[in-house]
Amino acid sequence: MNKSRPLYKPFALDLTGREHLVVTDQSEPPVTLDLTLSNISLWNVRTIAPGIQAPPAGRHRAFRAVPEMHAFLTHHLARASVGLRLYALGSEPFIWDTYNIGSAAGLTSAEMFLTQSGPPRRRVYCCHCKTMIGDVTQTIALCPGCGSSLQVRDHFSRRLAAFMGVKVDAEIPGDIPLPELLAS
Amino acid sequence: MKLKITDIIALSPSIRQFTLADAAGALLPTASAGAHILLRIPGPERVWRNAYSLVSSPEDRHAYKIIVRRVEHSRGGSVWLHDHAAIGEVVEAETPQNLFPIPRTAQKHLLLSAGIGITPMLAYLQVLRKPFELHHCGKLEDAEAFARLLPATPNVVLHTSRNTLDLEQLLAHQRLGTHLSVCGPESFMDVVLQTAQNLGWPGAKVHKESFGGATGGAPFVARLRRSNLTINVGSDQSLLEAIEDAGLAPPSLCRGGACGVCETALLEGIPDHHDHYLSETQRACNNTIMPCVSRAKTPELVLDI
Ligand code: FES
Repeated sequence: MNKSRPLYKPFALDLTGREHLVVTDQSEPPVTLDLTLSNISLWNVRTIAPGIQAPPAGRHRAFRAVPEMHAFLTHHLARASVGLRLYALGSEPFIWDTYNIGSAAGLTSAEMFLTQSGPPRRRVYCCHCKTMIGDVTQTIALCPGCGSSLQVRDHFSRRLAAFMGVKVDAEIPGDIPLPELLAS
Repeated sequence: MKLKITDIIALSPSIRQFTLADAAGALLPTASAGAHILLRIPGPERVWRNAYSLVSSPEDRHAYKIIVRRVEHSRGGSVWLHDHAAIGEVVEAETPQNLFPIPRTAQKHLLLSAGIGITPMLAYLQVLRKPFELHHCGKLEDAEAFARLLPATPNVVLHTSRNTLDLEQLLAHQRLGTHLSVCGPESFMDVVLQTAQNLGWPGAKVHKESFGGATGGAPFVARLRRSNLTINVGSDQSLLEAIEDAGLAPPSLCRGGACGVCETALLEGIPDHHDHYLSETQRACNNTIMPCVSRAKTPELVLDI
């Protein structure tokens, strides 16, 4: 078990908070929330296709994409008050990007809650050329930056919100094992 | 260490500032903002051990400054400092300790104080590098004394009546990176802490100073099993002080029931807990006690020391 690998708790509201903001990178929130309560908000990412109505802004906001949501989150947290609890649910890169945005705004780890959900998708940091590779689902990834075949390690950097990728064939060039699906 | 009083300034009829330097002229240990010093003040029957926040600049190693209010019916100490201490007098002291350091990760400091609780804030103001807001509650005559020591800026507000400080309003509208630091009488701190908690402030962003909270109470008897001693704890001294007067030197740090250093195993008797350290469950077990602040509900306590 790698110690740098974060452990996540199942989602639960922290009732000591005064306001609760739940953000997810999934189109269907993986939890049920009572959005009739005036102190709970939900933000998600929803593909808006013709015919599908964007929900009105308010307690529930749907964003076109994660970067848009994160830009809005930065703006929102700069105006928020102590008492807020932030919950991030979704892929590991998403929840840790959210965590880092929260930290920069002054939230402590006691005010943020991360829950991993959805199929394992990792963001991988190429240790050789510093390229970030998104949405990796297999144990071996090809770096688009330097062309290396990378072994996706369990070593996770919270600052980069990414897993380390190290050349798999450094010893014997070309000796690349068959990729497997990531288990977690 | 031995400290010599080198200056006394009357800030008001009941508040004085004392300057203390090393008796032999040596440099003093540095003390970060928020630190306090324990003075051993000679009393008629016993030595008082009183904690005072340092108000001097943390960089100043030539002198410590403390501000003392004369409390008429106090447990002593302050009366001696006001009525007997003179320039040139030497007092015994312990190296300063800091149980109220500046929260380093704060993006803004919200400082709330009442009464003499302003003293650690005076040290803070000299070194804070982040934006801050100070609200102080106190009596009108004290406010004038403190006003001279405070910057006349809009972020420093003196409230001479608690009604002018709308705590709820203030605590409900603080940016996420704000940390709250509070110092003052127990009753004041309780209200502030409770309000903060109700508004969802996490414990990690709330900091309180609590030293010297011992207020005395009904006298009782303590038996020190291992030392084979029986001592009387007077109404104007703490159990810890009584143990010290018996010649023992149990560990202690904050002397205000906050740090847990003085925790002592209790063998018999029911304690009257006044500390902020033990959990509810630990309290209910009646098998441990913080002698710096806690007392007895039974006429006698038996301690494992
Ligand atoms: S000395 Fe700190 S709790 Fe007693």
